[in-house]
Amino acid sequence: MVKLLLRRLLQTLLIMLTVSALLFSIFDTDQFRKRIAVAELGSYGVATLSDVDYQAWLEHRGLEQPYLARYAAWLQGIARGDFGRSTEKDVAVSTLLKESLGHTAVLTLFVFLIMVPVSLGLGVLAGMREGSNGDRVISFLAVFSTSIPQVATASFLTVILALGLRWVPAKSAMDDGWSFRQLVLPLLTVLIYDIGYFVRMTRAAMIDVMGSPYIRTAVLKGLPYRRVILTHALRNALIVPVTLLCLELNGLLSQVVVVEVFFQYRGFGRMLFDAANFGDTQVIQAATLVAVCVAVGSQLLSDVAYGYLNPRLRAP
Amino acid sequence: MTTTRSGEDQHGLVDQAATQLAEGSIGRREFIRFATLLGMAAGVAYTRAGLAAPQMAAPTLPFPAVSAEAKRGGVLRIGQRVTRMIDPALYNWLEMSNQTRPICEFLTLVGTDNVVRPMLLESWLPAPDLKVWTLNVRKGVMWHNGEELTADHVAWNIRRWSDPTLGSSNLGCSTFAALTEYVQAPNSKAKPIRRPLANGVEVLDRYTVQLNLAHAVLSVPEDFGEYGAIVVHPSFVAPFSDRPIGTGPYTLAELRVGEHCILKRVTRMSDGREFRYWGGEVYLDEIRFYDYDLQNQPAALASGSIDALFELTIEQIELARSIPGARILTVPAAQTVCCRMQVDVKPFDDIRVRRAVVLASDNAVIKRLVFGDHGAVGGNFHVAPVHPEYFPLPPPTRDVAAARRLLMEAGYANGIDLTITVGNTDGPWMQAVCEALRNQVKDAGINLAVDVVPESKYQEIWNKVPFGASSWGHRPLGTMVLSQAFRTGASWNESHFSSPEFDAALSEAEATLDIAQRREKMQTVERLLRDAAVMIQPLWRPVFSLASSRVNGYAAHPARQIHLNKVWLS
Repeated sequence: MVKLLLRRLLQTLLIMLTVSALLFSIFDTDQFRKRIAVAELGSYGVATLSDVDYQAWLEHRGLEQPYLARYAAWLQGIARGDFGRSTEKDVAVSTLLKESLGHTAVLTLFVFLIMVPVSLGLGVLAGMREGSNGDRVISFLAVFSTSIPQVATASFLTVILALGLRWVPAKSAMDDGWSFRQLVLPLLTVLIYDIGYFVRMTRAAMIDVMGSPYIRTAVLKGLPYRRVILTHALRNALIVPVTLLCLELNGLLSQVVVVEVFFQYRGFGRMLFDAANFGDTQVIQAATLVAVCVAVGSQLLSDVAYGYLNPRLRAP
Repeated sequence: MTTTRSGEDQHGLVDQAATQLAEGSIGRREFIRFATLLGMAAGVAYTRAGLAAPQMAAPTLPFPAVSAEAKRGGVLRIGQRVTRMIDPALYNWLEMSNQTRPICEFLTLVGTDNVVRPMLLESWLPAPDLKVWTLNVRKGVMWHNGEELTADHVAWNIRRWSDPTLGSSNLGCSTFAALTEYVQAPNSKAKPIRRPLANGVEVLDRYTVQLNLAHAVLSVPEDFGEYGAIVVHPSFVAPFSDRPIGTGPYTLAELRVGEHCILKRVTRMSDGREFRYWGGEVYLDEIRFYDYDLQNQPAALASGSIDALFELTIEQIELARSIPGARILTVPAAQTVCCRMQVDVKPFDDIRVRRAVVLASDNAVIKRLVFGDHGAVGGNFHVAPVHPEYFPLPPPTRDVAAARRLLMEAGYANGIDLTITVGNTDGPWMQAVCEALRNQVKDAGINLAVDVVPESKYQEIWNKVPFGASSWGHRPLGTMVLSQAFRTGASWNESHFSSPEFDAALSEAEATLDIAQRREKMQTVERLLRDAAVMIQPLWRPVFSLASSRVNGYAAHPARQIHLNKVWLS
């Protein structure tokens, strides 16, 4: 276990170094410098600068320093816990990260709170009796909900629930403070897709298990069906979906870009979208580090969960 | 100091124009614009034109009149992108100016009727050659720090706007460009560098500034109303949002970029005295800009999260109509897309190719396809019907056979492959225009590929691509954009068009105060530009906005400026 943790930690650091060095080399190009100039002065402003004055501006802005010097300075900052400053938002990147990650965490928490019981429950129900009417209905709904892109779901939900029935606000900017009503639409949009996906995964795993010889043995032995499902089938059937659920933690981080931008929810995805649009290098760098952390972290979590659920992997 | 309020005593030109108005050689609106250009108060000009002047809050104020029922109080919530506020002279988003406008003000104000009125100036007076302009600063305007606005402050700002090393978009405006000159650097091999004129901005006394321009400029009052010409206190240090000192009725209470910008009334100056706003009664207690992307604004208004929004796009009109209690606001504007070809880049360096592209396109059809009944058809010379000096040339006609012939003569008998780059910098309608264009020119054997790039990408390359669809914002005068974009060597000359004949004709038109004569001169200018086949400029789009019916005095502005000083809530 300790070995696994150490290996993962080392892996994380290596990935972070590689990714940040790569990003830095992209940001170090003339093209990207032009992009920063346009973001800060505007395309019309840059066009008024002569070549000499443009060079002077770049130097004044500190963009002409050599690659290694800037990269080293940035690494030193990170080591001190200083993630730099957002040029677009004019605040410390750490503040920005903290707030946006907090918002996304709240959304993710609610997603998991609802998705895990619902999708595992429905998936098990459907997989228990493959081909039954219940299975058909659940499977159809699951396929249906995963086949609609999130942007479309978001639009439908807005038109029906917000503009038509007026039950919830159309956007989730939370201008006047935290509001659960404003969380409903982004939550539903993520849930509709994710529940469908996990129901399908759970159902497939359940069907697999239900067809295995040891279940047949248990049934033939005359055990009550309830006990067969709860003690024999469930545990093995959940290995795959639970592992996938852990990985979904990482998947959500990229999924939320669509939802957060659509509903103007101020989470990590929207922050990343804004930063990429503006060319806000410090924010992009820091967000990438976070994304790597979450990716490796969720991988680790799923490894641990897999090991725990699958007795075959446990140390003798 | 007493100065004449209008130019008529000096020039007799207002009287001359009045005669032309009586004879019917100029219209009433043109007379008003002409008279206000010479410094006549807009209200007086309207009266002399025999038109009911738009009701103003007071004859000396640039603000519209307010109903007697107007109530004080309330919080107005506006949906727009909430941007950073670093340096007003470097603003590159209209939203930045809108957030700043209630705090810091402009020397002039271009109204929704496209007429310019003095704001922080009391009046202006051009010399007959339009090279020397006398600016009379409004008296009794107080800064939030307790100082009075003086000519020194105004001069400091104008000098800053004309600083070629700053990267301010103001320098693209003719007035500020005419306050600079090109000088040869000490090592004479290098390209000449741009530096401020030595004596361009002169302070005559406490309330008078004189501009000594390098050449005649017609649009001085209009340039002062452009989005980046915000007058800040000379103690300004970036970022503006940290220490905003203005002359306006509001100050910044809280700015969170990408979230909200909250403005509150100024009641006391920093020296403790009561702050009296020079512009009279102001109604709203608080103005809040809430961050909503353009595509999200109507839905946010529909669910009551905001009361008004920055801009309504053409695709959103239907949705807006279905929102109960919302009013759609609209105003004609000189907002356009300019599909321009770089005249020095192959194959566009051959005028026959450019002519063929223009001949194969049909502006009226493109306009109808994309904007339906809204807006006006463009004539490929970048002067709009809303411009006072607009000379209506006969509309362009499509001639596919002639286009084919020209292509054959140019050596493209088997057709030609071209690419137009578009970045939807004014919305997805620009791409629709390019796609319509692609389908039309196909008939003439032109295979036009539409290369759609992200908006931020296009902003980097807008003046570099050989064939590109650039958006151009509204300018109050037709000569303004011609000077900015088509004069030889102008900063924003994206088509690299260079014609001494055109430059001379434009200068002559700009130096002609007499409105009927100027329009006659514009005929030559417009014809020269159109015949050079530099662009397909298919339409003028109107500006739409949306507000809840409880918001009074909120109007769509052709340059998408939000003026809130006289807005009130019922």
